Amino acid sequence: MLTAKTSLGIIFFPAFDWAISPTHPEREERLLYTQDQFREEGLFDIEGIREYRPLIAEEKDILRPHFCFPGVKSVCTDSHFISAGGVIRAAQLVMQKERERAFAVVRPPGHHAMRTVHGSRGFCNINIEAVMIEWIREHYGNLRVAVVDTDCHHGDGTQDIYWHDPDVLFISLHQDGRTIYPGTGFPSEAGGPKALGRTINVPMPPRTSDEGYLMTVERIVMPILDHFKPDLIINSAGQDNHFSDPITNMNFTAQGYARLTQMLRPDIAVLEGGYAIKGALPYVNLGISLALAGVDFSAVQEPDLDREKIREQKSTIDYLAALCDQLPEVYFNPRPSDAVRESGYFVRRRSIYYDTDDINETQVERLKDCPHCPGLLIVESETPKTPRCLGLHVPVQGCDMCSQEAEERFVKSRQAGYAHAQLSDRVTKRYEYAK
Amino acid sequence: MLIGIDVGGTHTDGVCIRDGRVEAMAKVPTDHDNLLATITEALCSILKDCNGAAIRTINLSTTLSTNSIVTGRTEKVGMFVIPGPGINADAYALGSQYHILNGCVDHRGAISAKARVDQIKPMATRCREEGIRVYGVVGKFCTRNPEQEMAIAEALAPQADFVTQGHRVSESLNFGRRISTVYYNAAVWRTFNSFADALEQSLRNLKIQADINIVKADGGTMPLKLAREIPVQSIFSGPAASVMGILSTSAVTEDALILDIGGTTTDIAVLLDGVPLLERDGISIGEHPTLVRALKVESIGIGGDSFISSRDGQLRVGPERHGPCMAAGGPAPALMDAMNVLGHSSFGDRERSAKGIKEVAMIQGLSARECAEQAVSLAMDILKKKVNAFLAAINARPVYTIQEILEDRVVRPASIQVIGGPAVAMVPLLEETFGLPVVAPQHAEVANAIGACLTRPTQSLVLTVDTSRGSFTVPGLGIHKTVKRTYTLDEAVHDATTMLRAELDRQGIPAEDGDIQVIQADAFNMVEGHYTIGRNIRVRCQMRPGVITTLVS
Repeated sequence: MLTAKTSLGIIFFPAFDWAISPTHPEREERLLYTQDQFREEGLFDIEGIREYRPLIAEEKDILRPHFCFPGVKSVCTDSHFISAGGVIRAAQLVMQKERERAFAVVRPPGHHAMRTVHGSRGFCNINIEAVMIEWIREHYGNLRVAVVDTDCHHGDGTQDIYWHDPDVLFISLHQDGRTIYPGTGFPSEAGGPKALGRTINVPMPPRTSDEGYLMTVERIVMPILDHFKPDLIINSAGQDNHFSDPITNMNFTAQGYARLTQMLRPDIAVLEGGYAIKGALPYVNLGISLALAGVDFSAVQEPDLDREKIREQKSTIDYLAALCDQLPEVYFNPRPSDAVRESGYFVRRRSIYYDTDDINETQVERLKDCPHCPGLLIVESETPKTPRCLGLHVPVQGCDMCSQEAEERFVKSRQAGYAHAQLSDRVTKRYEYAK
Repeated sequence: MLIGIDVGGTHTDGVCIRDGRVEAMAKVPTDHDNLLATITEALCSILKDCNGAAIRTINLSTTLSTNSIVTGRTEKVGMFVIPGPGINADAYALGSQYHILNGCVDHRGAISAKARVDQIKPMATRCREEGIRVYGVVGKFCTRNPEQEMAIAEALAPQADFVTQGHRVSESLNFGRRISTVYYNAAVWRTFNSFADALEQSLRNLKIQADINIVKADGGTMPLKLAREIPVQSIFSGPAASVMGILSTSAVTEDALILDIGGTTTDIAVLLDGVPLLERDGISIGEHPTLVRALKVESIGIGGDSFISSRDGQLRVGPERHGPCMAAGGPAPALMDAMNVLGHSSFGDRERSAKGIKEVAMIQGLSARECAEQAVSLAMDILKKKVNAFLAAINARPVYTIQEILEDRVVRPASIQVIGGPAVAMVPLLEETFGLPVVAPQHAEVANAIGACLTRPTQSLVLTVDTSRGSFTVPGLGIHKTVKRTYTLDEAVHDATTMLRAELDRQGIPAEDGDIQVIQADAFNMVEGHYTIGRNIRVRCQMRPGVITTLVS
């Protein structure tokens, strides 16, 4: 009988009754063949691997990392509460030491969801990794967390939520933003003024395959992780780098994903994108699960794999090698911040497009330049449908002064002309909307 | 007139039932080296009271296959497996002739690499040289496309008395379990068939012309003719017979807990709306999980003969048994003795019970009564803890739709049904411990035989259709054909239930409307690019487990 070297809990929730629309990549069928593969391989018969049911997240779980406008229920359906509850279950298993590692194979995904949410971007409404990390920090104190995002698309949502957080290291490896959605994720995006070098973006050229990808992880990600010494490593395990993915251009394989997982040794992995539901997901999910559990994965392979056809060109490897030489500098010697400072606040003015729901948001973000903590975050946001929104976020490392200022602004929000105001104070653990 | 015989570890019980009434009962010791003699003895004992010519069916729950596996008295099997990529198939190796073949079928049933018949020649020769006459052939995803298994089985046929194929033993997914199911099926095939031959001869000698059915671990029966092909389905049928016994003696329609309290252990099972809950995949044979459908039953180490002792100043009850309790002439005090001391029961020699408990009480510095009270309450605590963990695990079972998560169907027993020797004496204690009404049905001492007698056949069928490939597969019936692209879920449900009904007819199993139950009927849109290319349809239906009739009380 097979035995896992590392005990693993898998929260498998295919949501067989939920789709964005009948032919959308995020549809009922997405994890059907992964379930078939898991069952036929007898994954849950392996001693030490166990299947768990997701919890249902509560509103406050969503409101810790997010500003949801006009309210939580207007941007979240049952499916989002359950997918968020799935990652919370994963965190529980690991934090309560019931399992050494966990893998949340849940949908819908989350890594394009930013702090402020008016709807769905890149199939994501709620950033489930952030919901999980903030649940962990609420219950177990401010741990140092590293998020390694190996989805093919830049994890712009997770980047946004942890942009100002010095205790969460965010590393995103993705297909170069000049060639794919969401068009961001360049090395110059390296974190806010209080968290410089805590955001690392590794754009890879299209058609990168196993050799190039694994070299990049080994030479960029691993040395940074070794130095950062996180208490927890989270892997946003998108599977769309696969050579058969219909909406990306990379050439990664199931073996590659398994070896990546073996190298990274994440405490918790979370499924993100990946839409080659027949040709990739069954094998990639199996490879990741076996690697997490420390079970031999050497025979896991796509039936139609032709290694020669997908091998990267020498120019790709050369390009990546140069990237491997330079990119660690973003972490070890970050360039000085060019953030704009206006009367005691760092200011970012942005417009954000929600492609899935076709929403245009304009946003002004102010971060208090606080001498005691990473600072109160104030977001003024509006869309044509939901104007005049205010979000106030006191970080988990926040100080009393920031907490107090948030409270004052929150109380006066109506007076100040905001239609919707949300307070998310991690210090006092208050998560509420102005009445 | 119906006969039910349950061959147990110690006793073999038999009953004869006519018009819902027990006409005769028998209890004889089990001789594991000659089960046929035991069964014949039980039968003759019943027939003293009944007329052999009037017997319509004989349902038999037998330990024959289980015992031959457990004691290692099985036949050598030549195994040929076609794993394709995935978990290393060495992990499932069974027997000395376990051969891994090339070839690959994926989850859709598409063959991307063919298993070659010429590859098996040298392996088949080695098997022949070892004198192997039974074989097993198992492919990964063979339930989606059995062609390769069929080809290899055909190639082995000339040197085989019997070949078991993976897609014929179970329609469920799980390659590793399928390998052990096929292996054990082939390994007990000859033993079971010789037994079946002898049994039929013996019944002829007794002038009995009845249909013979074999009880399965899922609480249903199968005709002897089918059991000859898949004898592995007859393993571990004992607990199922007991559970069905309860369903035959009292009509339970709500959630209920079933406790079968024996000498050494208590078996726990659960009814959901009166229907017994099944294991998700199947029962395990030792270390080897299988795809043999079985009722979900857990054994815990508390029974009437659970040994009471004082160790390191701590009073303990079970899990071991040191022979019968003292009241029954055993060597050491046991739970039943404590029950005797407290007056819950008056079983056997109560003086001996008192003497045994007193010895433990002295070490503990307690009076005999205090000691007995503590022992009984300790046993009840253990029972309650295990039952709660059992229910918690059931209630935490994975589900896959938002609707199921939101509904959150929790199993909440409204009653406890108890059977077994010490059960009646424990009724008040259990009521107090669980705060639920506890029912001990009539004829509790032969409930297992009654269950065997009155349980109905079960049979299930899975239909998988992929309209984009035009494939239509019913592994259990060996059907793999093409289907039109416009095939719908409604047609699939209709076809699946019609095929199941026809199969039941073929086996001579009567099925009324409502007996065939559709357990799963799903159709997933299959999309490529931005276009719907077809539907992936899965239909699973079954002959509902149940009893022919409940006893007239």
